[in-house]
Amino acid sequence: MTLALSINGRIRQVQAGLSDTLLTVLRDQLLLTAAKRGCNQGVCGACTVLIDGRPQRACLSLAANCEGAAITTLEGLQRDASMARLQKAFAATGAVQCGFCTPGVLVSAHALLSHNADPRTDEIRAGLSGNLCRCSGYRKIVDAVAEAAKEAKP
Amino acid sequence: MSVPGFHRPKSVEDAARLLAETDGARCLSGGATLVAMMNASLAEPKAIVSLAGIPELAGIAELANGGFRIGAMTRHAATAGDARLAGTLAVLRDAARQIANPVVRNMGTIGGSIGFADPAADYPPALVAANAEVEIANAAGRRRVAARDFFVDWYTTACGPGEFVTGVYLPPPRPGAGLYKKLARVSGDFAIASVALSAAKDANGVSIRIAVGGCGPRPIRADAADALLSAKFGDAAAAAAAGEALAAAADPVDDVRASAEYRRLVIPRLVAETVAHARAALEAR
Ligand SMILES: Cc1cc2nc3c(=O)[nH]c(=O)nc-3n(C[C@H](O)[C@H](O)[C@H](O)COP(=O)(O)OP(=O)(O)OC[C@H]3O[C@@H](n4cnc5c(N)ncnc54)[C@H](O)[C@@H]3O)c2cc1C
Ligand code: FES
Ligand code: FES
Repeated sequence: MTLALSINGRIRQVQAGLSDTLLTVLRDQLLLTAAKRGCNQGVCGACTVLIDGRPQRACLSLAANCEGAAITTLEGLQRDASMARLQKAFAATGAVQCGFCTPGVLVSAHALLSHNADPRTDEIRAGLSGNLCRCSGYRKIVDAVAEAAKEAKP
Repeated sequence: MSVPGFHRPKSVEDAARLLAETDGARCLSGGATLVAMMNASLAEPKAIVSLAGIPELAGIAELANGGFRIGAMTRHAATAGDARLAGTLAVLRDAARQIANPVVRNMGTIGGSIGFADPAADYPPALVAANAEVEIANAAGRRRVAARDFFVDWYTTACGPGEFVTGVYLPPPRPGAGLYKKLARVSGDFAIASVALSAAKDANGVSIRIAVGGCGPRPIRADAADALLSAKFGDAAAAAAAGEALAAAADPVDDVRASAEYRRLVIPRLVAETVAHARAALEAR
């Protein structure tokens, strides 16, 4: 059945059955593959996207229940100034290893900085606690977010 | 428009009618459990009734008596962030802020959490300690059940077929303290064991309600524990006796998080720690 979803500011027509998730629709139909399918259980955070401005799990969101919501994926934040600072800091700090977790981490970090422009280290850790990284040991990710926050200061 | 089997009613009455009439229908709140189960083929609902389009289920409202009604669709993040839940009611906020992580707290709802009734979840003991009531709707109307009677068994509540939770009623907050201690392997995991405590303090003394989570089919409570702590709050021997009474009332099992034996041993310690913190909070007021 056809659904009309608002994704990155555009209305997109997609096909979905009762059990299809937003993640399936994004990746398999719209080829928006920044959001990753890690666990499909809500645990890893690799699929994190913004739904009505708040980070949520695309793998736990039924596509049919997303009609009427504003969905923003990492692709939709490409021209965002805060995201640009995060990307730069992640590259400079070496916060990306295999990169599988990175899109989800960036979405969570972006949401954190939009509510708290100058987070302490423990606030960064808490803000990213829904995103697992199997490679980095988190330290460089936390450093990168702190660096991006510093860059944003006038 | 519209996927077969997917319903998004605009009122509680329509949702109750759909759940009663539709074979194999389940209600959907935050989806953080139901969709995970569907992804793992542990649930294959024939129809889904989303509660997301019902305005009266959203948000926390103050009542004429000074208490609060938390709508079933209220996300954990909203409950954790509501400063009106103060005094004895702070126990609920303290529990909400320790659920999972920020992203799951943006999705999960109080109705979905208690409707599913995972005994390791954080709200059930907190609602018992807060002396809350749960509102249940069905096609014929609504009723209210005390939180301590709402949780019946492992993953089983007072909701019958076709019934669902529409909200939680909290009594007016009393001056005092409310806190929730959660023992978990890592922060954000489900509890190995937890203790929820509300302490009301006035000129007549202290009145305590305490409940233990993660250590049996439903939140564990004991009249003797409440009475001991209320009579001699801050007394180490009374706290130890209350801890023993709760450990005796518990019915834990072995699971991936801990053994039943470990849980029985840890309850009195967690109770003592919670009482000590509550006492410090009362003194700091
Ligand atoms: C990674 C992860 C970590 C978590 N960690 C914790 C934790 O530490 N502590 C904790 O307490 N919880 C935890 N949870 C659970 C989560 O916080 C939610 O409480 C839970 O997912 C259920 O709420 P929901 O709104 O998502 O319900 P849904 O998934 O929508 O529904 C869950 C079940 O309840 C039924 N249901 C839904 N709404 C109602 C209703 N109003 N009345 C009756 N039945 C209903 C559904 O039919 C379904 O069977 C975690 C979840 C995840 C995915
Ligand atoms: S894929 Fe969604 S949380 Fe892991
Ligand atoms: S960089 Fe590999 S999972 Fe995070």
